[in-house]
Amino acid sequence: MEAADLGVRLCQSAAASVYLCYAIVALPVMALAFASFELAGWLPAVLLWCAKPWLDRTILFVLSRAAFGKRTSPADVWREQRRVWWKQLLFTWTIRRLSLWRSLTLPVYQLEELSIWKAGERVRQIRHRHAASAMMMTSAFSVSETALTIALVSLVFWLAPSGRTPDLSGLLSGEVPKVLALSIPIAYATALLFLEPFYVAAGFAMYLNRRAELEAWDIEQEFRRAFAH
Amino acid sequence: MILGPSDVLDTVVAAETPEGILLELRPAGLTARFYAFGLDWTIRLMIIYAAAMVTTVIGGIGVAFWLVLVFGLEWLYPIAFELSPSGATPGKRVFGLRVVMDNGLPVTAAASVARNLLRVADFLPFGYGFAIVSMLLRRDCKRLGDIAAATIVLHQPRATSRMPLHTVVPVSPARPLAPEDQAAIIALAARAPGLTAGRLDELAALAAAASGDVGRSGPAVTRRVLGVAEWLLGRR
Repeated sequence: MEAADLGVRLCQSAAASVYLCYAIVALPVMALAFASFELAGWLPAVLLWCAKPWLDRTILFVLSRAAFGKRTSPADVWREQRRVWWKQLLFTWTIRRLSLWRSLTLPVYQLEELSIWKAGERVRQIRHRHAASAMMMTSAFSVSETALTIALVSLVFWLAPSGRTPDLSGLLSGEVPKVLALSIPIAYATALLFLEPFYVAAGFAMYLNRRAELEAWDIEQEFRRAFAH
Repeated sequence: MILGPSDVLDTVVAAETPEGILLELRPAGLTARFYAFGLDWTIRLMIIYAAAMVTTVIGGIGVAFWLVLVFGLEWLYPIAFELSPSGATPGKRVFGLRVVMDNGLPVTAAASVARNLLRVADFLPFGYGFAIVSMLLRRDCKRLGDIAAATIVLHQPRATSRMPLHTVVPVSPARPLAPEDQAAIIALAARAPGLTAGRLDELAALAAAASGDVGRSGPAVTRRVLGVAEWLLGRR
Protein backbone atom coordinates (compact mmCIF):
# COMPACT_ATOMS: atom_id res chain seq x y z
CA MET A 1 0.00 0.00 0.00
CA GLU A 2 2.91 2.30 0.60
CA ALA A 3 3.83 1.82 -3.06
CA ALA A 4 0.54 3.52 -3.92
CA ASP A 5 1.77 6.63 -2.11
CA LEU A 6 4.79 6.70 -4.39
CA GLY A 7 2.39 6.79 -7.32
CA VAL A 8 0.69 9.82 -5.82
CA ARG A 9 4.14 11.47 -5.62
CA LEU A 10 4.82 10.56 -9.25
CA CYS A 11 1.53 12.12 -10.28
CA GLN A 12 2.29 15.27 -8.29
CA SER A 13 5.70 15.67 -9.89
CA ALA A 14 4.38 15.14 -13.42
CA ALA A 15 1.09 16.94 -12.80
CA ALA A 16 1.46 19.53 -15.55
CA SER A 17 1.81 17.09 -18.45
CA VAL A 18 -0.52 14.48 -16.95
CA TYR A 19 -3.41 16.87 -16.45
CA LEU A 20 -2.88 18.65 -19.79
CA CYS A 21 -2.92 15.44 -21.85
CA TYR A 22 -5.69 13.90 -19.76
CA ALA A 23 -7.93 16.97 -19.95
CA ILE A 24 -7.57 17.19 -23.73
CA VAL A 25 -8.78 13.60 -24.06
CA ALA A 26 -11.30 13.60 -21.22
CA LEU A 27 -13.12 16.87 -21.86
CA PRO A 28 -14.53 15.87 -25.29
CA VAL A 29 -15.60 12.51 -23.82
CA MET A 30 -17.29 14.33 -20.98
CA ALA A 31 -18.97 16.72 -23.40
CA LEU A 32 -20.33 13.75 -25.35
CA ALA A 33 -21.52 12.13 -22.14
CA PHE A 34 -23.29 15.32 -21.08
CA ALA A 35 -24.98 15.49 -24.47
CA SER A 36 -26.84 12.32 -23.47
CA PHE A 37 -28.45 14.14 -20.54
CA GLU A 38 -31.51 14.86 -22.66
CA LEU A 39 -32.08 11.13 -23.18
CA ALA A 40 -31.95 10.22 -19.50
CA GLY A 41 -30.69 12.03 -16.43
CA TRP A 42 -28.59 9.11 -15.24
CA LEU A 43 -26.94 8.40 -18.60
CA PRO A 44 -23.97 10.86 -18.46
CA ALA A 45 -22.67 9.45 -15.16
CA VAL A 46 -22.96 5.87 -16.42
CA LEU A 47 -21.19 6.70 -19.68
CA LEU A 48 -18.37 8.39 -17.82
CA TRP A 49 -18.09 5.42 -15.50
CA CYS A 50 -17.73 3.11 -18.51
CA ALA A 51 -15.19 5.39 -20.16
CA LYS A 52 -12.79 5.34 -17.22
CA PRO A 53 -10.54 2.44 -18.30
CA TRP A 54 -10.16 4.01 -21.72
CA LEU A 55 -9.31 7.42 -20.28
CA ASP A 56 -6.81 5.75 -17.93
CA ARG A 57 -4.70 4.66 -20.89
CA THR A 58 -3.75 8.23 -21.76
CA ILE A 59 -2.79 8.92 -18.15
CA LEU A 60 -0.68 5.78 -17.94
CA PHE A 61 1.10 6.66 -21.16
CA VAL A 62 2.13 10.04 -19.74
CA LEU A 63 3.06 8.56 -16.35
CA SER A 64 5.14 5.75 -17.82
CA ARG A 65 7.23 8.35 -19.63
CA ALA A 66 7.38 10.57 -16.56
CA ALA A 67 8.82 7.65 -14.56
CA PHE A 68 11.85 7.88 -16.85
CA GLY A 69 12.01 11.64 -16.57
CA LYS A 70 10.49 12.35 -19.98
CA ARG A 71 7.97 15.11 -20.48
CA THR A 72 4.93 14.40 -22.61
CA SER A 73 3.04 16.90 -24.72
CA PRO A 74 -0.38 16.26 -26.30
CA ALA A 75 1.48 15.94 -29.63
CA ASP A 76 3.32 12.88 -28.27
CA VAL A 77 0.04 11.25 -27.31
CA TRP A 78 -1.34 12.02 -30.76
CA ARG A 79 1.70 10.43 -32.42
CA GLU A 80 1.31 7.27 -30.33
CA GLN A 81 -2.48 7.24 -30.59
CA ARG A 82 -2.65 3.75 -32.07
CA ARG A 83 -0.92 2.26 -29.05
CA VAL A 84 -2.59 4.47 -26.49
CA TRP A 85 -6.14 4.83 -27.70
CA TRP A 86 -7.05 2.18 -30.24
CA LYS A 87 -5.36 -1.01 -29.06
CA GLN A 88 -7.40 -3.56 -27.04
CA LEU A 89 -10.44 -1.34 -27.45
CA LEU A 90 -12.94 -4.14 -26.95
CA PHE A 91 -11.50 -5.38 -23.64
CA THR A 92 -10.96 -1.88 -22.38
CA TRP A 93 -14.62 -1.02 -22.75
CA THR A 94 -16.00 -4.32 -21.46
CA ILE A 95 -14.49 -6.76 -18.97
CA ARG A 96 -11.65 -4.58 -17.77
CA ARG A 97 -14.13 -2.03 -16.51
CA LEU A 98 -15.26 -4.63 -13.98
CA SER A 99 -11.77 -5.55 -12.80
CA LEU A 100 -11.17 -4.90 -9.13
CA TRP A 101 -7.47 -4.19 -9.66
CA ARG A 102 -7.76 -2.25 -12.88
CA SER A 103 -4.88 0.14 -12.37
CA LEU A 104 -2.44 -2.56 -11.20
CA THR A 105 -2.99 -4.72 -14.29
CA LEU A 106 -3.36 -1.94 -16.85
CA PRO A 107 0.44 -1.50 -17.17
CA VAL A 108 0.75 -5.19 -18.09
CA TYR A 109 -1.81 -4.87 -20.87
CA GLN A 110 -0.73 -1.50 -22.15
CA LEU A 111 3.05 -1.33 -21.65
CA GLU A 112 4.20 -4.93 -21.93
CA GLU A 113 2.14 -5.53 -25.09
CA LEU A 114 2.01 -9.30 -24.76
CA SER A 115 -0.37 -11.56 -26.65
CA ILE A 116 -3.69 -12.14 -24.90
CA TRP A 117 -2.82 -15.57 -23.43
CA LYS A 118 0.61 -14.54 -22.20
CA ALA A 119 -0.84 -11.35 -20.74
CA GLY A 120 -3.31 -13.38 -18.69
CA GLU A 121 -0.49 -15.44 -17.21
CA ARG A 122 1.59 -12.35 -16.56
CA VAL A 123 -1.30 -10.58 -14.87
CA ARG A 124 -1.77 -13.52 -12.53
CA GLN A 125 1.92 -13.40 -11.67
CA ILE A 126 1.88 -9.64 -11.01
CA ARG A 127 -1.33 -9.91 -9.00
CA HIS A 128 -0.20 -12.89 -6.93
CA ARG A 129 -0.41 -12.01 -3.21
CA HIS A 130 -1.05 -8.38 -4.18
CA ALA A 131 -4.64 -8.69 -5.29
CA ALA A 132 -5.89 -7.73 -1.83
CA SER A 133 -3.88 -4.54 -1.54
CA ALA A 134 -4.70 -3.57 -5.14
CA MET A 135 -8.37 -4.15 -4.41
CA MET A 136 -8.17 -2.11 -1.22
CA MET A 137 -6.48 0.71 -3.10
CA THR A 138 -9.15 0.61 -5.80
CA SER A 139 -11.96 0.72 -3.29
CA ALA A 140 -10.32 3.50 -1.27
CA PHE A 141 -10.14 5.59 -4.42
CA SER A 142 -13.66 4.76 -5.52
CA VAL A 143 -15.07 5.70 -2.12
CA SER A 144 -13.03 8.91 -2.28
CA GLU A 145 -14.51 9.55 -5.69
CA THR A 146 -18.01 9.16 -4.32
CA ALA A 147 -17.15 11.34 -1.33
CA LEU A 148 -15.79 14.08 -3.58
CA THR A 149 -18.85 13.87 -5.81
CA ILE A 150 -21.16 14.25 -2.83
CA ALA A 151 -18.97 17.06 -1.51
CA LEU A 152 -19.29 18.93 -4.80
CA VAL A 153 -23.04 18.33 -4.98
CA SER A 154 -23.33 19.63 -1.42
CA LEU A 155 -21.93 22.93 -2.68
CA VAL A 156 -25.28 23.42 -4.42
CA PHE A 157 -26.87 23.51 -0.98
CA TRP A 158 -24.09 25.61 0.57
CA LEU A 159 -24.14 28.22 -2.14
CA ALA A 160 -27.84 28.34 -3.01
CA PRO A 161 -29.57 31.65 -2.20
CA SER A 162 -31.57 31.31 1.01
CA GLY A 163 -34.98 29.88 0.44
CA ARG A 164 -34.00 28.49 -2.97
CA THR A 165 -32.30 25.27 -1.86
CA PRO A 166 -33.42 22.26 -3.90
CA ASP A 167 -36.43 20.51 -2.47
CA LEU A 168 -35.51 16.99 -1.38
CA SER A 169 -38.98 15.92 -0.25
CA GLY A 170 -39.69 14.27 -3.60
CA LEU A 171 -36.51 12.14 -3.54
CA LEU A 172 -38.17 9.10 -2.01
CA SER A 173 -40.85 9.00 -4.68
CA GLY A 174 -38.19 9.26 -7.39
CA GLU A 175 -38.58 12.94 -8.22
CA VAL A 176 -35.12 14.45 -8.44
CA PRO A 177 -35.02 18.24 -8.65
CA LYS A 178 -33.59 19.46 -11.98
CA VAL A 179 -30.66 21.30 -10.35
CA LEU A 180 -29.63 18.16 -8.54
CA ALA A 181 -30.03 15.92 -11.58
CA LEU A 182 -27.75 18.23 -13.50
CA SER A 183 -25.21 18.82 -10.77
CA ILE A 184 -24.59 15.14 -10.03
CA PRO A 185 -22.97 14.28 -13.39
CA ILE A 186 -21.04 17.54 -13.37
CA ALA A 187 -19.74 16.84 -9.87
CA TYR A 188 -18.88 13.28 -10.85
CA ALA A 189 -16.99 14.46 -13.93
CA THR A 190 -15.04 16.98 -11.84
CA ALA A 191 -14.14 14.36 -9.24
CA LEU A 192 -13.04 12.05 -12.08
CA LEU A 193 -10.93 14.76 -13.64
CA PHE A 194 -9.11 15.30 -10.38
CA LEU A 195 -8.82 11.77 -8.96
CA GLU A 196 -8.28 9.46 -11.93
CA PRO A 197 -4.62 10.41 -12.55
CA PHE A 198 -3.83 9.70 -8.90
CA TYR A 199 -5.58 6.33 -9.07
CA VAL A 200 -3.76 5.27 -12.23
CA ALA A 201 -0.46 6.48 -10.79
CA ALA A 202 -1.04 4.53 -7.58
CA GLY A 203 -1.66 1.34 -9.57
CA PHE A 204 1.35 2.00 -11.78
CA ALA A 205 3.60 2.43 -8.74
CA MET A 206 2.26 -0.82 -7.26
CA TYR A 207 3.07 -2.50 -10.57
CA LEU A 208 6.62 -1.13 -10.52
CA ASN A 209 6.97 -2.21 -6.90
CA ARG A 210 5.86 -5.70 -7.81
CA ARG A 211 8.37 -5.87 -10.63
CA ALA A 212 11.10 -4.62 -8.33
CA GLU A 213 10.15 -7.45 -5.99
CA LEU A 214 9.89 -10.14 -8.67
CA GLU A 215 12.86 -9.35 -10.82
CA ALA A 216 14.70 -6.40 -9.20
CA TRP A 217 13.65 -4.28 -12.15
CA ASP A 218 14.83 -1.07 -10.49
CA ILE A 219 18.33 -2.46 -9.92
CA GLU A 220 18.48 -3.51 -13.57
CA GLN A 221 17.70 0.08 -14.61
CA GLU A 222 20.44 1.38 -12.29
CA PHE A 223 23.01 -1.11 -13.61
CA ARG A 224 22.17 -0.30 -17.22
CA ARG A 225 22.71 3.37 -16.46
CA ALA A 226 25.90 2.85 -14.47
CA PHE A 227 27.71 0.14 -16.45
CA ALA A 228 26.43 0.71 -19.98
CA HIS A 229 29.74 2.16 -21.16
CA MET B 1 15.72 15.35 -19.01
CA ILE B 2 17.38 12.83 -16.69
CA LEU B 3 16.47 13.03 -13.03
CA GLY B 4 19.40 14.05 -10.89
CA PRO B 5 20.00 12.39 -7.53
CA SER B 6 18.50 15.41 -5.76
CA ASP B 7 15.06 14.99 -7.30
CA VAL B 8 14.77 11.22 -7.15
CA LEU B 9 11.15 10.33 -6.72
CA ASP B 10 10.48 9.25 -3.16
CA THR B 11 7.73 9.59 -0.60
CA VAL B 12 10.17 10.25 2.25
CA VAL B 13 10.18 13.72 3.80
CA ALA B 14 13.07 14.90 5.94
CA ALA B 15 12.84 16.41 9.42
CA GLU B 16 15.88 18.07 10.99
CA THR B 17 16.53 17.75 14.70
CA PRO B 18 18.11 20.64 16.64
CA GLU B 19 21.36 18.63 16.59
CA GLY B 20 21.36 18.87 12.80
CA ILE B 21 20.44 15.24 12.22
CA LEU B 22 18.14 14.51 9.31
CA LEU B 23 15.36 12.09 10.13
CA GLU B 24 13.58 10.30 7.32
CA LEU B 25 9.82 10.25 7.80
CA ARG B 26 7.58 8.10 5.64
CA PRO B 27 4.18 9.83 5.49
CA ALA B 28 1.16 7.58 5.02
CA GLY B 29 -1.09 8.27 2.06
CA LEU B 30 -4.75 8.05 1.22
CA THR B 31 -5.27 4.26 1.08
CA ALA B 32 -3.78 3.34 4.45
CA ARG B 33 -5.38 6.29 6.22
CA PHE B 34 -8.73 5.63 4.60
CA TYR B 35 -8.81 2.08 5.96
CA ALA B 36 -7.51 3.10 9.38
CA PHE B 37 -10.29 5.67 9.59
CA GLY B 38 -12.85 3.13 8.39
CA LEU B 39 -11.83 0.63 11.04
CA ASP B 40 -11.92 3.22 13.84
CA TRP B 41 -15.29 4.37 12.64
CA THR B 42 -16.64 0.81 12.67
CA ILE B 43 -15.32 0.27 16.20
CA ARG B 44 -16.98 3.48 17.40
CA LEU B 45 -20.21 2.56 15.70
CA MET B 46 -20.26 -0.87 17.30
CA ILE B 47 -19.67 0.58 20.77
CA ILE B 48 -22.41 3.15 20.22
CA TYR B 49 -24.78 0.46 18.99
CA ALA B 50 -24.06 -1.85 21.93
CA ALA B 51 -24.47 1.03 24.38
CA ALA B 52 -27.78 1.97 22.77
CA MET B 53 -29.14 -1.51 23.42
CA VAL B 54 -28.18 -1.32 27.09
CA THR B 55 -29.28 2.27 27.72
CA THR B 56 -32.70 1.99 26.07
CA VAL B 57 -33.50 -0.67 28.64
CA ILE B 58 -32.71 1.82 31.40
CA GLY B 59 -34.59 4.60 29.57
CA GLY B 60 -34.66 8.29 30.62
CA ILE B 61 -31.30 8.87 32.30
CA GLY B 62 -29.87 6.04 30.20
CA VAL B 63 -30.45 7.97 26.99
CA ALA B 64 -28.70 10.95 28.55
CA PHE B 65 -25.68 8.79 29.36
CA TRP B 66 -25.77 7.39 25.84
CA LEU B 67 -25.68 10.87 24.30
CA VAL B 68 -22.71 11.78 26.50
CA LEU B 69 -21.00 8.58 25.37
CA VAL B 70 -21.61 9.36 21.68
CA PHE B 71 -20.14 12.81 22.16
CA GLY B 72 -17.16 11.45 24.10
CA LEU B 73 -16.40 8.72 21.57
CA GLU B 74 -16.55 11.09 18.63
CA TRP B 75 -14.15 13.62 20.13
CA LEU B 76 -12.06 11.87 22.77
CA TYR B 77 -11.51 8.42 21.24
CA PRO B 78 -8.78 9.51 18.81
CA ILE B 79 -7.18 11.92 21.27
CA ALA B 80 -6.94 9.31 24.05
CA PHE B 81 -5.35 6.73 21.77
CA GLU B 82 -2.98 9.16 20.07
CA LEU B 83 -1.63 10.26 23.45
CA SER B 84 -1.07 6.65 24.52
CA PRO B 85 2.48 5.28 24.08
CA SER B 86 1.65 3.69 20.71
CA GLY B 87 0.61 7.07 19.30
CA ALA B 88 -2.13 5.51 17.22
CA THR B 89 -5.82 4.60 17.35
CA PRO B 90 -6.59 0.87 17.00
CA GLY B 91 -7.37 1.38 13.30
CA LYS B 92 -4.06 3.10 12.70
CA ARG B 93 -2.22 0.41 14.65
CA VAL B 94 -3.69 -2.34 12.48
CA PHE B 95 -2.43 -0.59 9.34
CA GLY B 96 0.97 0.21 10.86
CA LEU B 97 0.48 3.96 11.15
CA ARG B 98 1.28 6.41 13.92
CA VAL B 99 0.81 10.12 14.57
CA VAL B 100 3.90 12.19 15.41
CA MET B 101 4.87 15.85 15.34
CA ASP B 102 6.46 17.31 12.20
CA ASN B 103 9.90 16.92 13.73
CA GLY B 104 9.41 13.27 14.56
CA LEU B 105 8.73 13.78 18.29
CA PRO B 106 5.73 12.10 19.97
CA VAL B 107 2.50 14.01 19.45
CA THR B 108 1.69 16.57 22.17
CA ALA B 109 -1.70 16.86 23.86
CA ALA B 110 -2.41 20.29 22.34
CA ALA B 111 -1.55 19.06 18.85
CA SER B 112 -3.68 15.96 19.21
CA VAL B 113 -6.68 18.00 20.35
CA ALA B 114 -6.17 20.50 17.53
CA ARG B 115 -5.88 17.91 14.78
CA ASN B 116 -8.94 16.04 15.98
CA LEU B 117 -11.13 19.11 16.49
CA LEU B 118 -10.23 20.23 12.99
CA ARG B 119 -11.64 17.02 11.56
CA VAL B 120 -14.70 19.23 11.17
CA ALA B 121 -12.79 21.44 8.73
CA ASP B 122 -11.60 18.38 6.85
CA PHE B 123 -15.14 17.09 6.62
CA LEU B 124 -16.22 20.17 4.65
CA PRO B 125 -17.82 20.68 2.21
CA PHE B 126 -19.11 17.17 2.86
CA GLY B 127 -17.75 13.67 3.27
CA TYR B 128 -14.14 14.69 4.05
CA GLY B 129 -13.76 16.43 0.68
CA PHE B 130 -11.04 18.79 1.81
CA ALA B 131 -9.13 16.01 3.56
CA ILE B 132 -9.00 13.91 0.37
CA VAL B 133 -7.85 16.80 -1.81
CA SER B 134 -5.29 17.98 0.72
CA MET B 135 -3.82 14.50 1.22
CA LEU B 136 -3.42 13.97 -2.51
CA LEU B 137 -1.94 17.35 -3.28
CA ARG B 138 0.61 17.59 -0.49
CA ARG B 139 3.95 15.84 -0.51
CA ASP B 140 3.62 14.96 3.16
CA CYS B 141 0.01 13.72 2.81
CA LYS B 142 -1.35 16.01 5.53
CA ARG B 143 -4.98 16.83 5.97
CA LEU B 144 -6.00 20.30 7.14
CA GLY B 145 -6.00 19.25 10.80
CA ASP B 146 -2.43 17.99 10.44
CA ILE B 147 -1.30 21.23 8.87
CA ALA B 148 -2.80 23.29 11.67
CA ALA B 149 -1.47 21.07 14.46
CA ALA B 150 1.95 20.50 12.79
CA THR B 151 1.51 16.74 13.02
CA ILE B 152 2.11 14.04 10.45
CA VAL B 153 0.87 10.45 10.06
CA LEU B 154 3.67 7.99 9.34
CA HIS B 155 4.16 4.39 8.35
CA GLN B 156 5.86 2.58 11.22
CA PRO B 157 9.28 1.39 10.10
CA ARG B 158 9.38 -2.35 9.56
CA ALA B 159 12.38 -4.54 10.21
CA THR B 160 14.07 -5.65 6.98
CA SER B 161 15.66 -9.03 6.55
CA ARG B 162 19.41 -9.18 7.01
CA MET B 163 21.83 -9.71 4.18
CA PRO B 164 23.29 -13.21 4.16
CA LEU B 165 26.66 -12.11 2.83
CA HIS B 166 29.16 -13.88 5.07
CA THR B 167 29.45 -16.69 2.54
CA VAL B 168 31.16 -14.67 -0.20
CA VAL B 169 34.74 -13.44 -0.26
CA PRO B 170 35.13 -9.63 -0.37
CA VAL B 171 36.33 -8.41 -3.76
CA SER B 172 37.75 -4.93 -4.27
CA PRO B 173 36.00 -3.05 -7.12
CA ALA B 174 37.85 -3.07 -10.43
CA ARG B 175 36.93 0.54 -11.12
CA PRO B 176 35.89 3.58 -9.09
CA LEU B 177 32.15 3.49 -8.36
CA ALA B 178 29.90 6.52 -7.93
CA PRO B 179 27.78 6.55 -4.74
CA GLU B 180 24.60 5.65 -6.70
CA ASP B 181 26.38 2.69 -8.31
CA GLN B 182 27.59 1.50 -4.93
CA ALA B 183 24.05 1.77 -3.58
CA ALA B 184 22.73 -0.28 -6.52
CA ILE B 185 25.26 -3.07 -5.95
CA ILE B 186 24.51 -3.18 -2.23
CA ALA B 187 20.78 -3.23 -3.04
CA LEU B 188 21.37 -6.23 -5.31
CA ALA B 189 23.10 -8.05 -2.46
CA ALA B 190 20.28 -7.13 -0.06
CA ARG B 191 17.63 -8.54 -2.37
CA ALA B 192 19.63 -11.52 -3.62
CA PRO B 193 17.78 -14.04 -1.38
CA GLY B 194 14.43 -13.06 -2.92
CA LEU B 195 15.51 -13.51 -6.53
CA THR B 196 15.79 -16.68 -8.59
CA ALA B 197 19.35 -17.82 -9.26
CA GLY B 198 18.97 -17.27 -13.02
CA ARG B 199 17.72 -13.73 -12.61
CA LEU B 200 20.46 -12.97 -10.08
CA ASP B 201 23.14 -14.11 -12.56
CA GLU B 202 21.51 -11.98 -15.26
CA LEU B 203 21.62 -8.87 -13.06
CA ALA B 204 25.13 -9.57 -11.81
CA ALA B 205 26.30 -9.90 -15.43
CA LEU B 206 25.10 -6.34 -16.05
CA ALA B 207 27.26 -5.11 -13.19
CA ALA B 208 30.20 -7.38 -14.02
CA ALA B 209 32.33 -4.33 -14.82
CA ALA B 210 32.41 -3.57 -11.11
CA SER B 211 34.34 -6.73 -10.32
CA GLY B 212 36.39 -6.63 -13.52
CA ASP B 213 34.53 -9.45 -15.29
CA VAL B 214 33.17 -7.48 -18.25
CA GLY B 215 31.33 -9.67 -20.74
CA ARG B 216 31.25 -12.76 -18.55
CA SER B 217 28.36 -14.18 -16.56
CA GLY B 218 27.44 -17.14 -14.42
CA PRO B 219 27.36 -18.05 -10.73
CA ALA B 220 31.08 -17.35 -10.30
CA VAL B 221 30.67 -13.78 -11.57
CA THR B 222 27.60 -13.37 -9.35
CA ARG B 223 29.66 -14.35 -6.31
CA ARG B 224 32.35 -11.84 -7.27
CA VAL B 225 29.78 -9.02 -7.73
CA LEU B 226 28.26 -9.86 -4.36
CA GLY B 227 31.82 -9.85 -3.04
CA VAL B 228 32.10 -6.25 -4.24
CA ALA B 229 28.98 -5.45 -2.19
CA GLU B 230 30.63 -7.09 0.82
CA TRP B 231 33.75 -4.98 0.23
CA LEU B 232 31.68 -1.80 -0.14
CA LEU B 233 30.00 -2.51 3.18
CA GLY B 234 33.41 -2.44 4.79
CA ARG B 235 33.97 -6.15 5.45
CA ARG B 236 37.45 -6.29 3.94
